[in-house]
Amino acid sequence: MQFNSYSYLLLLIPATALFWALPVPWRRWYVLAMSILYYATWNAAFVAVPLALALGVHLAARLLIAQPERGRRWFWSGVALVLAIFGFFRYRLFLLANINHLLAAFGARPMSVAWQIAVPLGISFYSFEAISYLIDAKQGRIKKSRFSDLYLFIMFWPHLMAGPIVRFRELGPQLDFARPFELRMLLRGLDRLVWGLVQKNLFANPLGSWVDQGFLHNAVRNNSTVDSWALAVAFGLQIYFDFAAYSNMAIGVAQLIGIVLPENFRFPYHAQSPADFWNRWHMTLSRWIRDYLFFPVTARFRGSPGALYASLLVVMALVGLWHGAGWGFVAWGVLHGAYLVLYRVWESLGETRLAAVTKSRLAAWGWRIFTLTAVTAAWVPFRTATGADAAHMLAGMFGRFRFGFSYPMDFYLLVLLMALFCVVEPFLAESWTRAENTIAALRGGLLAHSYLLRPAIYACGLLLFLIFDDRSTQFIYFQF
Amino acid sequence: MLNPNQVRKAAQEVVAEMIGKKVGDADYLISSGLIDSLSILKLIGNLENRLSVTIPAGDLQPDDFESVDFITDTVLRVARSR
Repeated sequence: MQFNSYSYLLLLIPATALFWALPVPWRRWYVLAMSILYYATWNAAFVAVPLALALGVHLAARLLIAQPERGRRWFWSGVALVLAIFGFFRYRLFLLANINHLLAAFGARPMSVAWQIAVPLGISFYSFEAISYLIDAKQGRIKKSRFSDLYLFIMFWPHLMAGPIVRFRELGPQLDFARPFELRMLLRGLDRLVWGLVQKNLFANPLGSWVDQGFLHNAVRNNSTVDSWALAVAFGLQIYFDFAAYSNMAIGVAQLIGIVLPENFRFPYHAQSPADFWNRWHMTLSRWIRDYLFFPVTARFRGSPGALYASLLVVMALVGLWHGAGWGFVAWGVLHGAYLVLYRVWESLGETRLAAVTKSRLAAWGWRIFTLTAVTAAWVPFRTATGADAAHMLAGMFGRFRFGFSYPMDFYLLVLLMALFCVVEPFLAESWTRAENTIAALRGGLLAHSYLLRPAIYACGLLLFLIFDDRSTQFIYFQF
Repeated sequence: MLNPNQVRKAAQEVVAEMIGKKVGDADYLISSGLIDSLSILKLIGNLENRLSVTIPAGDLQPDDFESVDFITDTVLRVARSR
């Protein structure tokens, strides 16, 4: 069931009402049941996957807490179990395809799989959350492992499919659902939900139909330089609006039942450097990588720039691989790793006699432009079907110039319009907050919480959602 | 045995040196963008030198160094557990 499907949205109303009508002790079981049902709507058999994963992780966490002298062993057993389940579903075919390439090179017969199995939705997200649970338990941040807490932490339906990737210490304490009903919180949840629906249908989907067409193998071969740049920008915008829409809806739905989830985006295309981009793009994944992978690894190699740069490249390659089993995703990660290394080298020059140059306004603008261009270029291998297509498209963008417009003018205007929206988005958000504060400051019961304004805005938003509705379009990050 | 006041003072000085100004003990350093995750490693190294302790950064998280208050608690906790 999609977040933007009519059935989901219609079920959400009675589901939320019933949640608040229930006594507090019942709520967690109700939310767990709803979460399992929600996951089962995709594939009932796959409900067993997060259940098995949670059981294994719970057992490992209990043992490592109870037997600290053997903690290391239980910790790595738990991590190995999560990675085995994750790897089996996610990378089995990728690994096999690469082994077959090697076998073919040596003239051997290729292997085949006995049966095809789909990838359980959200497995990349809940596997990372399960690993973070084990690390937190090992570091003494979780004193006691309770299966129902862990299972609910993993299954909590608003973030189950595509995040935000939450740490147990953020969500765990909220899972008693004891927070009293607050109209303000409910309204904020509705704001985010409606805005997410608008972002998905009005912004992401129209771009998506052009992107699908422009990234086809034959189209890639015939695209001009202008087309390639427009398509790369279009995909960068589509994936941002699509994932931000999902994140807004997840955060909004959680707020409807009084749960606060962390933010996932902060105007990423306003980044001032490659490092800043990762402080703004998929922030909960960046945080996970920083806390559970990059920080512990770099901490062990303190003082060695070579090791730091190598770990940046490896970690970012893994981030790419996390997105999907394909070399295009790895290339995307490695490119981002290379941008980060380049920026770190530049930053280290700030500690030499070149400090004045590195801190100049010109350098700051240079990094802004570089970041925007480099991030856009990196989307190419992420989206193209093959490495050859990516190379062809990048060559057209950066060297083999050919001018012309292969698509109707509507496409270029749409990309321009969406890009302009991205430019003004932070200012719009600020104005919205200011307007809200002004209205809230006005005396008078009705106006105090903008009760009059909100229904009108929701009606407009939902109208736009319905007009631009295309129910066949899935969220991009659901496949990761 | 480390003295809490001594640790706090060292944390205040190291943070002020790194960001070029004094901050409140409860002010957030990482989420406010004053310090990034790589600078935390430098901060840990400076603290180790000043206090002559070993901080096992590999078993900690950047959140443990989010403010002077957090740094003080973390260093004391680590010192106690050794």
